[in-house]
Amino acid sequence: MNARTSAHKSAAATLHADQLTLRAGSRTLLDDFTHTFYPGEVWCIAGPNGAGKTTLISTLAGLMRPAKGHIELDGMHVNAWPLARLAQRRALMPQTSHDAFSASVLDIVLLNRFPHLAGWGWEREEDRAAAHAALDALGLADFAARDVLSLSGGERQRVALAAVLCQDTPLLLLDEPLAHLDLHHQIDCLEALSGWARGAGRTVMFSCHDLNLARRFATHALLLEGNGVAHAGPTRDVLTPELASRAFGYPLVLIRDGDDEALIPALRATSRN
Amino acid sequence: MNGLVQRQPIHIARGMSAKRALAIWTALAVAALAVFVASLALGSVSVAPTRVFDALLPSADASSDLAVQIVRTLRLPRALAGFGCGALLALAGALLQVLLRNPLAEPYVLGVSGGAASFALVAMIAGCAWWIVDASAFAGAFVSILLVLGLARGALWRGEPQDASPRLLLTGAVIAAGWGAVITLLLTIAPDSRLRGMLFWLTGDLNGGGTPWLALAALCVAVLAIVPIAPQLNVLLRGDAAAQALGVPVMRARLRVYLVASLAAAAAVTTGGTIGFVGLVVPHMLRLAFGNDQRMLLPAAALGGGVAVMGADLIARTVIAPAQLPVGVITALIGVPVFLWMLLRRRRA
Repeated sequence: MNARTSAHKSAAATLHADQLTLRAGSRTLLDDFTHTFYPGEVWCIAGPNGAGKTTLISTLAGLMRPAKGHIELDGMHVNAWPLARLAQRRALMPQTSHDAFSASVLDIVLLNRFPHLAGWGWEREEDRAAAHAALDALGLADFAARDVLSLSGGERQRVALAAVLCQDTPLLLLDEPLAHLDLHHQIDCLEALSGWARGAGRTVMFSCHDLNLARRFATHALLLEGNGVAHAGPTRDVLTPELASRAFGYPLVLIRDGDDEALIPALRATSRN
Repeated sequence: MNGLVQRQPIHIARGMSAKRALAIWTALAVAALAVFVASLALGSVSVAPTRVFDALLPSADASSDLAVQIVRTLRLPRALAGFGCGALLALAGALLQVLLRNPLAEPYVLGVSGGAASFALVAMIAGCAWWIVDASAFAGAFVSILLVLGLARGALWRGEPQDASPRLLLTGAVIAAGWGAVITLLLTIAPDSRLRGMLFWLTGDLNGGGTPWLALAALCVAVLAIVPIAPQLNVLLRGDAAAQALGVPVMRARLRVYLVASLAAAAAVTTGGTIGFVGLVVPHMLRLAFGNDQRMLLPAAALGGGVAVMGADLIARTVIAPAQLPVGVITALIGVPVFLWMLLRRRRA
């Protein structure tokens, strides 16, 4: 808790939620939730629609203030961080991107170098190199000159992911990064993200609707029931048929085929009811 | 694979750099200088360009030489006012297009010109001197700015992932519609003898005899206030949540953009009336030509808008000389087809 350590400059960031309570109108989404998210962990935030996944991610990023409790990054209250320094420590990928005007994919990705710019705010060669490296990492090297307005939803989503990667922060908060992606791109992105987290001891947190992808790629899971109850822990302990059935209000069963396993909706007829 | 990568000829592929921006600004500044000299030289009495320079020197004798007098007291203030108005309008348009994240935004969309016009028309009906009309216009613009700000304060940044721009746009558009009704009312009850002057004012007219200094001073303030945060504006275009997460103080940045854009529009309207289409078209033309990097675009829009209005005013006072057209007619007559062409071209692309 005695804040300003040398951790600020290291590649790893530790995120701590302290007695966090989130509300939407009169509903309590999360009640008195305390947990620490460590470097090297890949977290999936799961839960039904309206359970508070986006609210939680915005709060963890320091954009929204919680009803109660607070967030700490590297031991310092997230709202005590200067905005620019905070942006060097954590990157946020919002659920939607605004594109009112034409711009090249490279320009869009370069925008996430903003926290690293100095002087008059012109990019240096290393910023361009970081942007190209991020595009390469997601197989988008050939897209650099494309106009964002001409991209499909899935392509736009991968560009947004490349943008947060090139921000080069130890903590990544991603709101539905896999939406609109077809299966092999979902897997490519998740592989890129887990490689990114493992390699340099970074933390990745993403919200996701596909529990099976989460079980395969996330090391940890945070399951929101949407009524204040949340389960946090290693993926296999949290995304179980029992807990997931309760959260999603539909019976799920785990089926196995050798090493492969999947959570699937049970047929109503064979469910316990 | 690499052999297949197309070398895209389009400008947006290259990205913007300080060097490229400087080249664009220099080219526009040269164009501005050329139109400026032409504005001083051409008219009902032609003055050779070399004599234009002589006339501007302090040593020139204004009392005996008619050409010197025309250049100094008629054409110089008017060319400067035209440049100032155009620069302010194009800058305001570019800023509001960023603020509202809407390509159709222009300096008058949030009601600044409506407030200015309503107050100015009241002063004209009362038969006030030109400087009271100007002061009323500025006061009206200011009232409108405060009104929109007071009503849409919460729409600048709500700390939520949802985008708040539509609320600001709607508030401003409704206020503008209200002013529109006031203007119609004033035109209806105005005495016939004053109607012609009022209509000229509404179309945009640099013939008013005002001074260019308000516009030029406002231009300096606006450029100094906004150019340092141009990199933030690039990020702001990506949405409020994304910008805040990237370290942009969204609330402060949007407030500054709104105030600078509104005061720029107010100063322009006070100087030249509601000159149309410059604020909408000039930023778009520059975007189409050079991309949408605000670090380049904002100074370029100021220079380009200045060239456009100065040039349009040159046409307005020479094409049917010795009679003069309101400059707003020329900017709109040229602006409408250009804008439609851009809009349709974009839909096809």
